Amino acid sequence: MKTRPNYLAGIGSFIWLLIVAIPLYVMLSGTFQTREEFGDNGPLSFPSSFTLQNYADAITSGFGRYFLNTVVVTVGVVAIVLLLVPPLSYAIVRSRSRAASFVFRFFLLGLAIPAQAVIVPVFYLINTVGLYDNLIGVILPTAAFALPICTLILSGTMRDITGELYEAMAMDGASPARAFFRLVLPLSKGGISTIAVFSALQAWNGFLFPLILTQSESTRVVTLGLFNFQTQYGINIPGLLAAVTLSMVPVLLVYLFARRALVQGLMGAGGK
Amino acid sequence: MTTLATRRQAGPGGSTPSRPARSGASSVGRPGFAWALPATIFFALFALVPLAAVAVLSFTSWSGLGDPEFVGLENWETLVTDPVMVKSLWLSLLFIVLGVVTQTPLSILLGVWAAGNQRNRAILSAIYFVPLLLSSAAISVLWRALLDPNFGIPGQLSWLFGDGNLLGTQSGAIGVLIFVGMWQFTPFHTLIYQGAAKGIPTVLYQAASIDGAGMVRQFFSITLPQLRNTAITSIILMVVGGLTTFETVLILTNGGPGTDTTITAFYMYQEAFQSFDFGVGSAIALVLVVVATLISLVVVKVSGYDKMNSSLEGL
Amino acid sequence: MNNRTWMSRSLAGTAVLMLGLTLAGCGGGGGDASSRPENELHLAVYGDASNKVEQAMVDKFNQTSDVKVVLDTIPGADYQTKLQTIIDTDSAPDIFFNWGGGSIANFVKADLLMPLDDLIEEDPQLKDAFLPSVFDTAVIDDKSYGIPMRGTQPVMLFNNSDVLKQAGIDAPPATWDDLLDDVEKLKAAGVTPIALGGADQWPTQMWFQYVFDRVAGEGLFQSALDGDTDVWDSEESREALGKLRELIDAGAFGTNFDSVKFTDGGSPTLLSSGRAGFELMGSWAYATHLDANPEFAENVLGYSEFPAIEGGKGDPANLAGNTNNFYSITKNTRYPEEAGEFLKLMYSDEFVQEQIAIGNLPTTTNTEEFLDEASNPEYAKYQFDLVKDAPHFQLSWDQAYPPEATVTIHTAVAQFFSGQIDEDGFIKAMQSL
Repeated sequence: MKTRPNYLAGIGSFIWLLIVAIPLYVMLSGTFQTREEFGDNGPLSFPSSFTLQNYADAITSGFGRYFLNTVVVTVGVVAIVLLLVPPLSYAIVRSRSRAASFVFRFFLLGLAIPAQAVIVPVFYLINTVGLYDNLIGVILPTAAFALPICTLILSGTMRDITGELYEAMAMDGASPARAFFRLVLPLSKGGISTIAVFSALQAWNGFLFPLILTQSESTRVVTLGLFNFQTQYGINIPGLLAAVTLSMVPVLLVYLFARRALVQGLMGAGGK
Repeated sequence: MTTLATRRQAGPGGSTPSRPARSGASSVGRPGFAWALPATIFFALFALVPLAAVAVLSFTSWSGLGDPEFVGLENWETLVTDPVMVKSLWLSLLFIVLGVVTQTPLSILLGVWAAGNQRNRAILSAIYFVPLLLSSAAISVLWRALLDPNFGIPGQLSWLFGDGNLLGTQSGAIGVLIFVGMWQFTPFHTLIYQGAAKGIPTVLYQAASIDGAGMVRQFFSITLPQLRNTAITSIILMVVGGLTTFETVLILTNGGPGTDTTITAFYMYQEAFQSFDFGVGSAIALVLVVVATLISLVVVKVSGYDKMNSSLEGL
Repeated sequence: MNNRTWMSRSLAGTAVLMLGLTLAGCGGGGGDASSRPENELHLAVYGDASNKVEQAMVDKFNQTSDVKVVLDTIPGADYQTKLQTIIDTDSAPDIFFNWGGGSIANFVKADLLMPLDDLIEEDPQLKDAFLPSVFDTAVIDDKSYGIPMRGTQPVMLFNNSDVLKQAGIDAPPATWDDLLDDVEKLKAAGVTPIALGGADQWPTQMWFQYVFDRVAGEGLFQSALDGDTDVWDSEESREALGKLRELIDAGAFGTNFDSVKFTDGGSPTLLSSGRAGFELMGSWAYATHLDANPEFAENVLGYSEFPAIEGGKGDPANLAGNTNNFYSITKNTRYPEEAGEFLKLMYSDEFVQEQIAIGNLPTTTNTEEFLDEASNPEYAKYQFDLVKDAPHFQLSWDQAYPPEATVTIHTAVAQFFSGQIDEDGFIKAMQSL
């Protein structure tokens, strides 16, 4: 698919460029204007002055803390996913027990359980163990609900490891654990980075669990901070836009420094 | 040619061991069930045990204060006759269908186009990618500000938006939610189509060219069939995503105007956490789980992908 | 430990066991889950611009107390939800903000709140320092459950005096007919006559509260609240709805009010930027404008009572809105005495002065002494007199009913304004409560 230009898609992609870029332009230009100017000129106008006050406002209203919390949640979720999913997928792909195939169906079913559906009992569960308003209480269910999709992705990758390779390992009389660490993990790097990216985005985007499971300023994550900012300082639209812009900085950094891994990781969800 | 879709299909089916297992060396030790145990317990704890609790709760009346009171089928009877519930299911279905039909063609076109190697495509792809860096909450807050009828884009483009009452009418509010969903999720789906399109063997196109097939023909007879499994994966993700859309509705429309964008997932939240009827809320939650399962099954059946063994099929 | 629900019990065993397994190495997990850090009192308040006074009071208290108060500001839109979700759990706050009346009735019924009568006996000022009519809003079954903690918040008709002048309007409307005239004049002047944050729904409800009160008097709503739903179908009720319909059809609110919010600054900015003439809003609107645009708040913002309706039964001096907000103490608090000490700050001179400085109007008996210190003494005195002279002060409908009625009320008022339902539809919705 690289020999000839594709005009139809070319035109479509240009229109789409406008649709994507214009709101982003409004967002960025808004952050550099004063409230009065933004209100008077309207969002589409070119800024006539330049101020960084909105970013200062957003940062002083607590976003530094919210970022830290979101990073903690994201790291925690990814760590749990990377700890639990590879052994699970390994068992699904290689185990001969009926239990393992049952588990695979169990996780397929899990794909159809929306987090909303169980939020009430999850709240009482987290509350009972004293993790309400605690970041660990957000990390645990967020990680749990990232498991099904990650398991599907990684099991697919692991299934591509051919029987011959296992046989080669067998020559050395390898145990399942040895095969896992020496063969399966190294050959599943692509799938593992995909699930890391996936679960990280899920944690970064998380809204419902933090909404229900936390309440105080000290455990607030970025998504809730934005929701809150809207009602608390909403009149300050440029300030709000600055907060939105700031909220994408960490992911943007990851994107800039690990673009290949991120993009390849996401592509991996659909096929290769 | 592995995709999420074929992976599902290739999974251990009942008692039949999976294919690699059969061809694998019997002499290698196989991992026991213990390897799967931690993740299974963890998931059961946060999904299955609560789901069972939800099932029990759906037969009770409970406001979150004191103890739940068993009321038999009362909540279910309420739901069956509740016009908002029925409407919410139709709205959810509408959201899913509109989401799929707007995002799928666009992502395929963009994905196939972006799979080319030209430099400008890489730059454009980078811009398309940006909405992916924003969370749903951030995107909803951003669009809420951009769509204010007086101080947002509609205020400046009145020739296009009229009085800007986008969120005050049913068609407007649904349109906004679908559009924002498209803005947010198209980059992701574009990316997976791009990945899949890159993987289509060039030899197929060369063969088609020799047969004299034109570009459009190649697109329909080679590209699309080759993307089939990816499309199924992508659509399943859209369906589940559409069904559970929550913060976008909460922030952009709050289910309004009236109940015109009260989709089932939002109605569940509203009944449970705004009207404090955890019993009815739980019943809605169960409906949500059942609908999600059914839709996934229907997509699998209709697409016939459970019978498909290779994406090279159909050439 | 109020760990009573069956769910908590049934989940607890499995939970602790499994968390122990899955969390091994993460520390924590299991153990005596319910224990809060010692020497902490959690104070949950509605998050908005008034929080700086609450923070100041907390700081003052913490200077001298060993038990530290921790202020948890919960985003406004989410407040009631969060509160009811956590109040019967171990995560309940020790002290929490509420609206008195219907907003705490269910909690009292579930025996979750601490009656304050013993505290009041020790320190009579906890009761005597407040205006009785306000204090009584949080008295349920002859027991006191709340201490007034912010300001009284009557709903008033705010205006942009510059816009009114330009449209040839000399004075705020005294009667309903004046209001209809003003609407025509403002339309002719090319502005939206009345700004309305319809997407928030509760600003729409304010119009119902006043029109029903002016047309039918306070009795109609009280009867409905007491369970006589027939009154919604009365002649007076239909007349009130007719008046509202007349105003909407006159184009008073423009056409896009359902896309505008108060909470994200949409409707107040319409007023302050001169694109609307009036806005019906709680007295906190002054603080909102002061925060966003001080010059406008001090020089241009005008205010008046809701107009009288000719031939109506209600006294034109009647008010609607929030009588005040209250602090209540949960029964299971670990430090009831310290919580009581904290509440004593609510009648301190310093508290009154700080509230007045941000435009709130406390309801202590000594408030009048400090009105001159308000950033806008004229506004403060006007408001105080309104409250003092009002024969009846109607608590907002969504606060007078228990919280589970809120969605129904909000949906009904919004649908009536947008024309999705007519008089019959509205009556049916209210009768379903």
